[in-house]
Amino acid sequence: MARFLIRRLVLLVAVLFAVTFLGFSAMNFLGDPLFNVVGLMAELDCEAIEAGSAEDPSLDRARSDCETVAEARATYHLDRPVPVRYLLWVGDMVTGDFGTSFQNDQPVAEIIREKLPETLILLVMAQIVSLGVAIPWGVVAAYRANRAFDRGSTVASFGLLSVPNFALGVVLLYLLSLRWQIFPSAYESDSVVGLVFSMVLPALTLGLPLAASYQRLLRTDLITTLQEDFVHMARAKGLPPMRIMFRHALRPSLFSVVTVFGVSTGAMIGGSLVVEQIFGIPGIGREIVTAVVRDDFPVVLAIVMLVACTFVIINFMVDLFYSWLDPRVRAR
Amino acid sequence: MNPDGRPSRRGRASRQRLLRRFRVFRLVRSSKGPEPGGPGEDEAVRRRLGVGFWLAVIWLVVMAFIALFAPMLPFADPTKVGYSGPREPPSAGAWFGTDALGRDVFSRTMYGARISLAVGGFAIVFGMVVGGALGILAGYFRGRLDQAVGFAFFVLLSFPALVLAILITATLERSLLVVSLTIGILAVAPVGLLARASTLVYAEREFVAAARVLGARNGRIIVRELLPNVVIPMGALTLLGMAVAVVAEGSLAFLGLSVAGDEAISWGKMIVDGAGLRDLQNATHVAMFPVAVMFVTVLALNFAGDRIRQYFDVKELAF
Repeated sequence: MARFLIRRLVLLVAVLFAVTFLGFSAMNFLGDPLFNVVGLMAELDCEAIEAGSAEDPSLDRARSDCETVAEARATYHLDRPVPVRYLLWVGDMVTGDFGTSFQNDQPVAEIIREKLPETLILLVMAQIVSLGVAIPWGVVAAYRANRAFDRGSTVASFGLLSVPNFALGVVLLYLLSLRWQIFPSAYESDSVVGLVFSMVLPALTLGLPLAASYQRLLRTDLITTLQEDFVHMARAKGLPPMRIMFRHALRPSLFSVVTVFGVSTGAMIGGSLVVEQIFGIPGIGREIVTAVVRDDFPVVLAIVMLVACTFVIINFMVDLFYSWLDPRVRAR
Repeated sequence: MNPDGRPSRRGRASRQRLLRRFRVFRLVRSSKGPEPGGPGEDEAVRRRLGVGFWLAVIWLVVMAFIALFAPMLPFADPTKVGYSGPREPPSAGAWFGTDALGRDVFSRTMYGARISLAVGGFAIVFGMVVGGALGILAGYFRGRLDQAVGFAFFVLLSFPALVLAILITATLERSLLVVSLTIGILAVAPVGLLARASTLVYAEREFVAAARVLGARNGRIIVRELLPNVVIPMGALTLLGMAVAVVAEGSLAFLGLSVAGDEAISWGKMIVDGAGLRDLQNATHVAMFPVAVMFVTVLALNFAGDRIRQYFDVKELAF
């Protein structure tokens, strides 16, 4: 187990390194970082201005602009090569300095601290919704496999998986909030109850397609498990069907769901960008979209890194959990 | 992941897990016969495509035809503002009504198919060419190349897809080519893992050994022996991949990060245009028609794709 853990940890560090380096250099190579800092001033040809004659009065402004540019280069280490900058940046990140937003000079760490709770609440509620829907749904479908309910639910889950989540969000918003007025259409943060209540629709939007995919996996696995010898044994002993289902069959059938849990978190983080937009939730998803539109480079980079690293770490933990559930995985 | 790719006991177990985790399609020659109780998986159904499949194909062909020839078909000008009044309900003149600027929603929805299908098609072809090539090479040569490629795929998959797409579109101008390439890059790793997995299976087979004994070079073995076999499972999953790509483009467009400009009409953009509370309340048709057309298109891609997958007996583990 120790060796397994060490190998996993090494891989984790390597992946984190690669992910952050890729993200960092993408932001640096694809766009001009200087332009992101000082805007149009980056276009100035400072060497020519320095070399130009001192008499021309219009050059004075250009020269002071050039000083700003040089200053920015120094502050953001833009005069160093990318790998060095990357290391400096990682050092800053690790010590909690995420830089400051170009838009309003607010520290990025502060922005993230403000916005993160909303997104976390949304993600947790969505997972609760999806598991809460998928487990009963999968159990009933598998219990009477190939009967009317099961066939109907196969069609339903197929349809649910084909709705893009932004489309589902708009439809749910229209039906449940505007037409039938069950849930509020906008984000509320006055009270905890109001907050949770206003998050129900977003959580449904994120959770329902996920529930459909969990249900498919659980149903297939349960059908297989229900044909195992130990289930026949339990039946022969005369145990009640519900007890067999929940005490004997359900747990060994949850492997696939656990495995997909990690990936689904990634899909949900992506989905939350869209869902926060629809329902006006001030979370990090909305923040990154605004930041992208405004070319707010440090905010985009910090959020991308945060999300990617979280995703990597969650998958790492799912891996460990999985090897704990099923010892064959770590075998020797 | 065990990056050295040798079928050690641990390696095989963890690779299986990796494939599951990244909802990659796993090749399983069904050795146990039909899956117990799984509808649609039994032999009789698998060998028939069924009516639903052909309905889906007809829808897709019609959409593709409209996308290709939209400017030549008798549609209203999709960008003309004030075609009739704003937010008019559906009528004989404007089948899907008009939007907030009085533009014809029907004609916009039809034109919207162009970007969605173009991006979807390009992305999956790009993923198959690049990912397929890398996957086959990695699976055939193994060793260090396999390690490097495997690690690259792993890193690509470590970004949530939409976040990676945003990272790229954030920094470049949002042209049709950039958006298509972005989504194409997302397709590389899943397709590549599939290609690698099938290559590993076929590289062990007798006909490859026979070709080698007869003196065939690596290049010939890859192109003449492996490629035709690996292309089948990849091709069987084309439509499913395209569905994912169409949804990804829609999400980007919904966020305002897909192809820029008024000329570039996209379903995601139309839906977000009609999704304001006032529009949704008073002019539901503006958002709902593109939602419906997009849903049916994605459903058709998924359904036809799933049938083809079953027909060729390629098993996909997690959806």
